[in-house]
Amino acid sequence: MPALDPIEAALARLMPPALSQNFQYELDEMIDALAGQEAQGITVGISSRPNRWIVGSGIAAAVAGLLAIYPLVQRAPDRQISAQPEEIRSGLVLVSESDRIQSMTDEGWQENSEGHAMHALRLNVVEENSVMDEETGIIVLISQPREELLLMPISSF
Amino acid sequence: MNSSANEWKQWLAANGPRLLLFARGWSNSRHDAEDLVQEAILRMWHFQADKGHTTPDLPLVFSTIRFCGLNHHRSESRRRKREESIVYLNDFQDVWLDPLLEEDEEAVILREAVQKLSQKLREVVVMKFWGGLTFLQISETLAISPNTAASRYRYALEQLAHELRRMKEERHASA
Repeated sequence: MPALDPIEAALARLMPPALSQNFQYELDEMIDALAGQEAQGITVGISSRPNRWIVGSGIAAAVAGLLAIYPLVQRAPDRQISAQPEEIRSGLVLVSESDRIQSMTDEGWQENSEGHAMHALRLNVVEENSVMDEETGIIVLISQPREELLLMPISSF
Repeated sequence: MNSSANEWKQWLAANGPRLLLFARGWSNSRHDAEDLVQEAILRMWHFQADKGHTTPDLPLVFSTIRFCGLNHHRSESRRRKREESIVYLNDFQDVWLDPLLEEDEEAVILREAVQKLSQKLREVVVMKFWGGLTFLQISETLAISPNTAASRYRYALEQLAHELRRMKEERHASA
């Protein structure tokens, strides 16, 4: 190993400052958030990256079928949590469906279409449906995030 | 996915300070440098998605910080033109490097000299000395030849030595 230049020896007495606690925390939070998004992406990404999930052509056909009936599942009238199985189409069963509120933001007062003052809340909701292919027994979780603006009448000032 | 997140956190704990030091060369304050590092890490996370979110190669992250810094510099120049009336003050407590020993006067002088180096020289010194990159890796990061990287490093050391002598003489003359 070559000997250090005297100026390099002097440089060795300097070091980059450590990350501040706040910044370290921010980075960790970001990594956790990214890892979380990625985990959600696994369920959402079925249609865009099927090669990750489909090993054989039989499974591919099953997933394609599930994606085809997805709009039917999405239009299910009851969006409350339901554990009762529901047959959507021959061979495919809706195992469960749920709406999960991920976050809520107070948007203050807003006027509705009739000009009345309303209290507005913006909700980030994730709709999750589990569908089972009766033939293969494969259960696929389909999740879809959406945003909703909830307007509530103001009863008192 | 949690194991990936933990690996990234450990990787950041080990390499964060050297990345932040490099980012300082592309920003006006520590906070701006932190933003640059954060942006680069975000880009790297998405870039590494196809590799199972393994931690990235250090030279690539330096390169990404540089790219983000260039972008930021362009938008910052445009913003400054719009806000010419604002006076920007230096935060003199906001230092790039810490001396290992508190009372090391020579190290403090050298720190100033490092900050005064031209950007081209300083980034080679930072990547080589505190980043631990080889001249080959530096050359790939900066899109220059390894010989150019090595000669910039040698030239920077000469400048630092000269500046160190000059600043010491100045301080002793005024003391």
